[in-house]
Amino acid sequence: MSGGVAQELRRMLADDQVIDGLAAEPWAVCDRVPQAVAFPGSESELAGVLERASAEGWTVAPAGRATWLFAGHPPRGIDVVVSLKRLERVLEYEPADLTVTVEAGVGLDVLAARVREHRQWLPLDPAGSPRGTLGATLGTASWGPLEAGFGRPRDQVLGARIVTGDGRVLALGGRVVKNVAGFDVLRAQVGAWGTLGVLTSATVRLHPLPEADRTLLFTAPAKEELVSLARALACAPVPVAALELMAPGERDTGATVSVLAARLLGTRDEIEGLHRALATTVPGAQPRLLEGEASAALFRNMAAVEDGAQFVVRLSALPDRLGWLFEQADRLAGLSHEAVGFGARVTAHVAAGTVRVIVAVLERSPGWVERTITRLRRVREELAADGGTLVITRAPPELVSDVGAWGIDPGTDPLIRGLKQHFDPAGILCPGRMEVV
Amino acid sequence: MPEPLPEAVLADLRRIVGVDAVIDDPGRLLAYESDGLTAYRRPPSAVVLPADTAQTARVVAVLAGAGVPIVPRGAGTGLSGGALAPPEGVIVGTARMNRILQLDAPNRRAVVQPGVVNQHLSDAARPYGLYYAPDPSSQTACTIGGNVAENSGGPHCLKYGVTSRYVTGVTVVRSDASVVALGGMGREPGGYDLVGLFVGSEGCFGIATEIEVRLSPLPQGVRTLLALFNRIEDAGHAVSSIVADGLLPAALEIVDGETIRAVEASAYAAGYPTDVDAALVIEFDGVDAALDAQAERADVLCRQAGARDVRRARDPVARQRLWQGRKKAFGAMGRIASDLLVQDATVPRSRLPEVLGRIREIARHYDLRVANVFHAGDGNLHPNILFDRTNEDEVARVESASKAIMRVCVDAGGTITGEHGVGLDKRAYMSLVHGPEELRTQAAVKAVFDPTGLMNPGKVVP
Ligand SMILES: Cc1cc2nc3c(=O)[nH]c(=O)nc-3n(C[C@H](O)[C@H](O)[C@H](O)COP(=O)(O)OP(=O)(O)OC[C@H]3O[C@@H](n4cnc5c(N)ncnc54)[C@H](O)[C@@H]3O)c2cc1C
Repeated sequence: MSGGVAQELRRMLADDQVIDGLAAEPWAVCDRVPQAVAFPGSESELAGVLERASAEGWTVAPAGRATWLFAGHPPRGIDVVVSLKRLERVLEYEPADLTVTVEAGVGLDVLAARVREHRQWLPLDPAGSPRGTLGATLGTASWGPLEAGFGRPRDQVLGARIVTGDGRVLALGGRVVKNVAGFDVLRAQVGAWGTLGVLTSATVRLHPLPEADRTLLFTAPAKEELVSLARALACAPVPVAALELMAPGERDTGATVSVLAARLLGTRDEIEGLHRALATTVPGAQPRLLEGEASAALFRNMAAVEDGAQFVVRLSALPDRLGWLFEQADRLAGLSHEAVGFGARVTAHVAAGTVRVIVAVLERSPGWVERTITRLRRVREELAADGGTLVITRAPPELVSDVGAWGIDPGTDPLIRGLKQHFDPAGILCPGRMEVV
Repeated sequence: MPEPLPEAVLADLRRIVGVDAVIDDPGRLLAYESDGLTAYRRPPSAVVLPADTAQTARVVAVLAGAGVPIVPRGAGTGLSGGALAPPEGVIVGTARMNRILQLDAPNRRAVVQPGVVNQHLSDAARPYGLYYAPDPSSQTACTIGGNVAENSGGPHCLKYGVTSRYVTGVTVVRSDASVVALGGMGREPGGYDLVGLFVGSEGCFGIATEIEVRLSPLPQGVRTLLALFNRIEDAGHAVSSIVADGLLPAALEIVDGETIRAVEASAYAAGYPTDVDAALVIEFDGVDAALDAQAERADVLCRQAGARDVRRARDPVARQRLWQGRKKAFGAMGRIASDLLVQDATVPRSRLPEVLGRIREIARHYDLRVANVFHAGDGNLHPNILFDRTNEDEVARVESASKAIMRVCVDAGGTITGEHGVGLDKRAYMSLVHGPEELRTQAAVKAVFDPTGLMNPGKVVP
């Protein structure tokens, strides 16, 4: 069977566009090792593969450069991974329009370098490798600290082309910043985790590159001591670009204190004005200032905060529940192994009201699976009772399959199924990944 | 002519919402025969005004049970005929659902009923130093429910983005009378972005009965400029060069000579010179310390693009007066022509000068008066055609000119509507921007939300 799918694919694509066996292992999706990995060189090649997969019943997961395939809810099974990494052209870039259209396999780093020439940038900073592709960032709707000032992927994307599960090519949205010509179908694709189609290109909105960059860094021995300061800054009457509160793991090398970082971006005048406004909001607090590259570097390092972790969970609630979210976070941090790795980091996107628990290694004494599942369920229930959510980004697949990564509201089930039916009638795209558990 | 509802259905409706909240008197129904686009007129068979989500669901159950088409309606300021019912259809109006349910300042969030008027929300938030950012020019009348349905924009959306950026949750009554709560601030979207999908659904997916929105801090300061041009194309160039320079104004609005002369001849006279071809309203807001430098830079760029004069509003009164020339444009135009077709399309902003020139040629070719007043920073054009509905020949030319203008905008890489929606009016143009497969997808996604097919039928999808 294994040889089968790869062989069939080799009949459709060139030899160097298909790998299988050992070579396919790094492309496992949440531990599901595919029988073959295909690297289509064009949208029509991809459409051919998907049409065939739908006919044959091969299950398929889209991928970019395989930097984050372990994330999210595990699909039931995956026969073929299609990597978009060969679709890496910049299709159209008109700096005066502050928009760029690129193929889905373009890395965020490559895109950044390209538009920087015109003093522009795309303010998306998801956790993980900067080599991650735009397609994957949009497909998973991943965002980072800059969300506070610039919004989420859904706010940056103007249009995209997708291939549906059965190989239909759809052009969704457009290239202009305002567009209400019909229902906003594109929204369903952003954050669908590859279950409703494969993005092949996208048009995103760019922003002028800020002239100046300053971070106000507050520190304290424990994260709890920074909560009220963080909330005060979140309520300040001026916009901050990012507001992050981080507590290091018990055995983290380097940082041993908790830090609250407020990032300001803009012209030099603007930054001075913003800084003055924040200073009046939190009088007496004495932050350290990081300017320019030092400020940027801090946030680059923060993007690596999940690297090497076995377990990453996101807890959300209304932003003013930050202190309570930290209490819930500590209950999950307690799942960390006492002696291995950095321990458990807890970090908050303060403005959004999202706290991540990042555990290096899970403690695995007998009965750990049941214990962990029970703990996750309890915390999810408590959050839900307060209008919040628990989302599992990364965990051993046996845990996630059981608890469910997203905690999808059963009330939305008919809508989810209806969309799936239209965009993937044969149900081959990451089956089981986006369902009510 | 509307088809009267069966008496049994009317009785059921009255039982749910009360006698006063069901309108079936033909005289009173005339108030609902059109929206802001008065070219289309057809009264519904009845209007029902439920007071909350539960009543709305019961109303929908009765109507769907009787197979009656259901059309949600806010203030009726829409400009694409979206809130018009078919003769056998019933309008479910949100006029009684006009309460702000929560104003949660610490979380910069409000939960409102759909009939809350846009401006009223900002007024209520102001004491907390907050406001609701999307500001359609109709904001003193239009409702948040209508804004959500149209994904409305406004002059300040250049910097702040349109409605979808601000809607975090919505409770929807679907056409099978089921109630579903989508999203919510403080919840990560588990599953698909159904809130994003619902925003802009033009009343075709369901009735929004509670809406959660994000509020923003009031800007510290504001600077407003008015640049005057002898050629509208130069104003278009000024827009491009301001954006290309890395400036991000809160608003960049163009008002053309035709419009200026109409405004100046009206009660709304704003003191614009009447011999210019275009005026560009530029506004910067945000941290006060940065604004003077930005205004100065924009001033220089406008002069380089050929502005003959650049004025600045020195105080709030002057600022308001200056904005009046923009905000009262539609009202003023109504006085110089018996009918006005408000057009709406978007082009990449770098193509503005060229497209404005083409629109002028089209107007000349069809011998029509076209007045442009629009959100230039977003490339969102409103070429408004003045005409007389009783002149058949002129009406035919308006039709042809509209089509030609849409074609020019689409060919320039743009689209057929930037903020007014498709509604009834633009269905015929949908195939200019969507292929057959995309149109099938539009219909399929509607069917997912609207299982009975009774929710605002005959809109958007051709
Ligand atoms: C002078 C003038 C200036 C304008 N300026 C702008 C502008 O700057 N920017 C802009 O974007 N628009 C503008 N508009 C258009 C219009 O005001 C907006 O589209 C507005 O959002 C419509 O709100 P409404 O309450 O009047 O909706 P209505 O006209 O009543 O309805 C519009 C659509 O929304 C649907 N709908 C209404 N309420 C609900 C609900 N609760 N649930 C589901 N669907 C619902 C209706 O079915 C219909 O399809 C302007 C209009 C006028 C007349």
